Amino acid sequence: MTDFESVGKAFVGHYYKTFDAPGGRAQLGSLYQDTSMLTWEGQQMQGAQAIVQKLSSLPFQSCTHHVSTMDCQPSGQTGGIIVSVTGQLLVEGEQHPLKFSQVFQLMPSTPGNYFVLNDIFRLNYA
Amino acid sequence: MALPGMQRQEGVPEFKLVLIGDGGTGKTTFVKRHKSGEFEKAYEPTIGVEVHPLDFHTNYGALRFYCWDTAGQEKFGGLREGYYIHANCAIIMFDVTSRLTYKSVPVWHRDLTRVCENIPIVLCGNKVDSKNRQVKAKHVIFHRKKNLQYFEISARSNYQYEKPFVYLARKLVGDNSLTLVKAPALAPPDVVIDMEAQAKVEAELQQAVNAPLPDADDDELLE
Repeated sequence: MTDFESVGKAFVGHYYKTFDAPGGRAQLGSLYQDTSMLTWEGQQMQGAQAIVQKLSSLPFQSCTHHVSTMDCQPSGQTGGIIVSVTGQLLVEGEQHPLKFSQVFQLMPSTPGNYFVLNDIFRLNYA
Repeated sequence: MALPGMQRQEGVPEFKLVLIGDGGTGKTTFVKRHKSGEFEKAYEPTIGVEVHPLDFHTNYGALRFYCWDTAGQEKFGGLREGYYIHANCAIIMFDVTSRLTYKSVPVWHRDLTRVCENIPIVLCGNKVDSKNRQVKAKHVIFHRKKNLQYFEISARSNYQYEKPFVYLARKLVGDNSLTLVKAPALAPPDVVIDMEAQAKVEAELQQAVNAPLPDADDDELLE
């Protein structure tokens, strides 16, 4: 069995490092496929293209994620992994970090590789 | 609404003022110009809001706006109901150098009026000091359809800074002759505005008041 914890950890590290770099969000498309869905603050997008378009169009150049917690579980019979993340994120030019939570479901694609089937993002505030 | 722990003044009328509009339109720059508000501001992390107490001295005496500014949540999506709830008045801001931010104005207005049905609202076109203006004054028509007041402002030069507050105070007090008896202490201007050019723009705006509205409805504006 694949070590789901280490896959999840490697994915989360890669995802936020790419996301946070200037222009990095445009590079996230290879993580998604046509069946992927992103729910971003309640707005749903399906397919790698629509997802990357949404992420690229956010009105800031860069930001910084700080991951506070990460929990992983194996999911289903086909080797999927559920990853739940909480943390804080600071957008360039802002004074105060925002709390966020994000859930990913990773599915095996080619042997040893995974893609993001589900991605749900929320800011945590009242 | 004040945040817990904020010093309040007995007998001074208080109003919750929500500041909304796309990210990058200058909302934070605008609210930070007011010096005593900047000194006494407080951050509430559970709501993700910075509240600036803005005092104004009028012929009715002192009054205070608790001006709510986001921590940038609007860059991710719409704001939650908790931001709008119990607002007494609102400023919707766009950036005259960015058409996109003007196109979002109907969305912000819709989100606001879903929670606050009938409060005085000012529309502000910010950054009018810029040489790179994209939204011409005569193209700003949304306020006329919705009965809002519109002001051209430049937060960085303090141009018309007090106008939105005086308008809202007049509506909230119910007297259109309310005036300031003392100018608020503002941070010194960072830029100088070309007053001659801006006077022409203001004259155009005056003329536009009498011109018929184009036949486009809000849905077209949203596109």
